[in-house]
Amino acid sequence: MGIFARKAIGSYRTASVTARLAVGAGALGVLVLSAAIASLALGPLGIPVSHVAAIVLDRVGIDVADFTITEKLVVEQLRAPRILVGGLVGMALGVSGAALQGLFRNPMADPGIIGVSAGGATGAVLSIALGLNTLFFLALPLFSFAGAMGAAFLVYGIAAVGGRVSMPTLLLAGVAVSSFLGAVVSAVIVMVPADAALREILFWLAGGLDGRTWEHVRIAVGPILVGVAIITLLSRDLNLLMLGDEEARSLGVRVRLVRPLILATAALVTGTAVAFSGTIAFVGLVVPHMLRLLFGPDHRVLIPLSAAGGALFVVVADTIARTAVQPTELRVGIITALVGAPFFLFLLIRNKRQAEAF
Amino acid sequence: MHPAIRSAVFLTVGIVLALAIAACGGSSPASTPVPPPPAPNPFAAVAGIVDPDNHGWPREVEGLNGRITIAAKPQRIVTLSVGHDEMTYALVPADRVVAVGSATKNPSYSNVAHLARDLPTISREPEVILAQNPDIMVTSPFVKVEIVESLSNAGLTVVQTSLENDPQARINNILFLGYIYGEEDRAVELAAEVQARFDALQAVVAAKPDSARPRVLSATRYSDKLYTAGAGSTEGGIIDGAGGVNVAALAGLERNPIISLESIIAMAPEVILIPQPLEFGAEEFRQDLLDNPALAEVPAIADRRVYLVSGILYTTLSFWNLRGTEDLAKILWPEDFAGKEFGPFSFPE
Repeated sequence: MGIFARKAIGSYRTASVTARLAVGAGALGVLVLSAAIASLALGPLGIPVSHVAAIVLDRVGIDVADFTITEKLVVEQLRAPRILVGGLVGMALGVSGAALQGLFRNPMADPGIIGVSAGGATGAVLSIALGLNTLFFLALPLFSFAGAMGAAFLVYGIAAVGGRVSMPTLLLAGVAVSSFLGAVVSAVIVMVPADAALREILFWLAGGLDGRTWEHVRIAVGPILVGVAIITLLSRDLNLLMLGDEEARSLGVRVRLVRPLILATAALVTGTAVAFSGTIAFVGLVVPHMLRLLFGPDHRVLIPLSAAGGALFVVVADTIARTAVQPTELRVGIITALVGAPFFLFLLIRNKRQAEAF
Repeated sequence: MHPAIRSAVFLTVGIVLALAIAACGGSSPASTPVPPPPAPNPFAAVAGIVDPDNHGWPREVEGLNGRITIAAKPQRIVTLSVGHDEMTYALVPADRVVAVGSATKNPSYSNVAHLARDLPTISREPEVILAQNPDIMVTSPFVKVEIVESLSNAGLTVVQTSLENDPQARINNILFLGYIYGEEDRAVELAAEVQARFDALQAVVAAKPDSARPRVLSATRYSDKLYTAGAGSTEGGIIDGAGGVNVAALAGLERNPIISLESIIAMAPEVILIPQPLEFGAEEFRQDLLDNPALAEVPAIADRRVYLVSGILYTTLSFWNLRGTEDLAKILWPEDFAGKEFGPFSFPE
């Protein structure tokens, strides 16, 4: 049994889950709220924080200060939906990462690394290339979800032997599937005529949260919140699955149902996130690990906190992306990668040292 | 001899000698026309031409890929950029262009699509290019150096040049390509035509006071991403040339960066241009701008001065972007250009 599993079981047996959850949720809640308010106040059009606060209070019926109509519209129609979509995407990627790491008992599992994000992107690109996104409003999210799910089950099927997942095989399968899907996307780009679809694909692949509207919020909120809720409800089972399938089964977990259910739900939230933001790397890797260091590996704490932490990470990253070099914008993926890649390397080095110590 | 007779003889001899010397001295300034000074060589100041006085073959040019010798007048020409194709078609008879890239055949991207419609399509794959048996390829700096080298190694004459869009560079581009193709007379003629149209435009817009110049923003939208045109962009040059103020450049933006809708509010343009093809959602973008309540106080939105303009005139790097400048001048100064129709440029006969 690995360190990862032993820690989880230790926490499961001894930790005061409610207390840690309360502390973590309280702290992250304050941080998410602060980040959201700061993000609402920052942008090319200088809007004083007091005006932003007044606009928010006005929305709930409290009239406290002056603000212009333009300020109100900018905050409500431009900044707020973008922040909410960013928060939802972060929530989805954070929870998905935590769930996949638990499911595969692999600290390196991440929607991007095991091919789920690439599957989502491939589905989205195919829907654009076939022109389905212009015919049917939900085609792109549905294709993205289907692609993410297909990739997840393919990698899982390759890496799982007798109910156990081989870590090296999982990572290699993830790399292989991601590369294959990358080639599929490249082939689509080459074959699609140089018209609107090609441009749409190329600009979509760049990713980002530009131009998000309340319509995007309305579509994304359902699948992501439902997915996060399902995984949160299965967090106890995730803890038990880390003992191994036989032990989990003996403790009452319906392994044959729960494993694919968690995988499908992780694919659902990842696919939805990818559909609305493109691929944003490293969120699912960095956030759960950071929180695991602070609050322990118990998934009953880790899953809900990863939702809040993911939202915080993406909202802060996107705020930096859109304000650091304004009036132009950076890709949010640049910011998450600048933080995520060094963190990933840190994990690799740390794991190597631990392996050497044993 | 009598002194009076002696004086008369001397006077007569002097007059005769003077007449004889005058006759031997050739034409006098008063009686013979002065030949005009030689006309300045229009190619003398064009960067890239090694010997502007050499109008024979072989001739040498200095491209971005080094000094290139052109052995003979090119008869089978290919280029790998729309801008170069547009200039080439304006300089040489159409049958000397033997293949073009797919963008040149697309009317959404090219001003010469109608001329290139039936030609073979080439890609950046060297073998595909060589299959057309060209004797010269002129290409932009965006083509990879490996491709240029492999084509050169295969014996093809390749000249890599950049196309700039300021007024003087526009003329130099024409003269340089004309020299490469051995079409100096046509290049001079086209350069004069382009310069005359630019001068005619400037005669009107240059006189406009700064306070009267409208604040203009160029914006396009692809896949929810909003792009503008800052300093150094083709659209920015067109805005300047048409007597507008490019608000994106004023905000410190360069080339074609991504911006947010909020930036449009901050830049407060009085005119918004959308140089995006209709099939790429230009009309939907325009309507979204006009309908967005957050933008309602932007002067261009409030006055409904949001214009769909021809992408092929506003984004090309060839001299055709002067047509874009003319088009915009008409939008910005409607009273000055009322009833004025700007036609296409001439092609070789």
